[in-house]
Amino acid sequence: MSDQSIQGSIITSRLIASIATRTALETPGVLRLEPTIQGFLARLGPAALQHLGNPGSQDGTYRHNGVTVTISDGTARVHLDIATDIAYTALHVAETVQERVRETISHTGLTPGTVDVTIRAIEPHRGATML
Amino acid sequence: MALDDIPRLGCGRSIDRIWATTDRPPTAHEEHCEHCQTARTRLQGLREATRLLRESDLHNPALKPRPAIKNAIMGVARAEVRRGSKILLRSADNGTTEITEQALRSLIRFAAAAIPGVHSRRCRVEIRSAAASPAGEDHASATTGTATTAGPRLIVNLRVAAAPGIVIPRTMESLRREISNALPAGVGIGAGTVNITVEDLYDV
Repeated sequence: MSDQSIQGSIITSRLIASIATRTALETPGVLRLEPTIQGFLARLGPAALQHLGNPGSQDGTYRHNGVTVTISDGTARVHLDIATDIAYTALHVAETVQERVRETISHTGLTPGTVDVTIRAIEPHRGATML
Repeated sequence: MALDDIPRLGCGRSIDRIWATTDRPPTAHEEHCEHCQTARTRLQGLREATRLLRESDLHNPALKPRPAIKNAIMGVARAEVRRGSKILLRSADNGTTEITEQALRSLIRFAAAAIPGVHSRRCRVEIRSAAASPAGEDHASATTGTATTAGPRLIVNLRVAAAPGIVIPRTMESLRREISNALPAGVGIGAGTVNITVEDLYDV
């Protein structure tokens, strides 16, 4: 029997959610992630989510304010709810977020799956002057 | 060999089945089965105790959510309702992009705010496929519109109040142009049809 240690790591959906959140917030034109009722209930506990009739949320899925991550068979699927700056074109911002999140997921060793983005608000950046 | 861990009565019926039906009249089998009758009698006592505990929990102030939690849930729930329906902007193998009706409405309102003498009121945004209807089909007698067929076809219905003294047709053309420019710039899609209804005058 070999004494050689086996190195490994566990990538959780929570970690991917954290990475996706940071990546999205660092993308020019993203103001914030938008909380949804499901994300809010997820913070209260799995029992609250069960009342929403979403049994899939218990296995491999992590929800937090504005981000949902599901890992299945080594593939991470992400859904982001974002608010964008009115000075940017929201569709282009969403595309950039999708590309960047997929790239950062690939750095974890997981296969990036679909990255869905919902633009929930378009607003002027605080401190910006509207002409 | 499969193991059956479900507790069963002497007659073969599962306890779970009896428990699930204690609030209903006994079946023909249960009316004559001694095992089922005994189980029903005992489980009815348990059901009553469960009901009393449930009632007690409902009225126990210690188990009620704190007002802050309740307000936070209601705040998020109201925001969800305000956001309206979602419109699919783009679908590709690597993911979809959607936008809420509220996001479009707020962009339209920002555009309208740039036109002097106009107060925007109710705004509704619909989406139709480019081939769904010929341009101008939706125009009511009091509204005017322009149409493009590129990308998702939006139909913007905006009601406004106008300041007295402005030239309404010219101002509404400026408003329509502002919205038609704001949607491609702010969202990345064509404005489609922009229907504007002047429904009132407001005092300056």
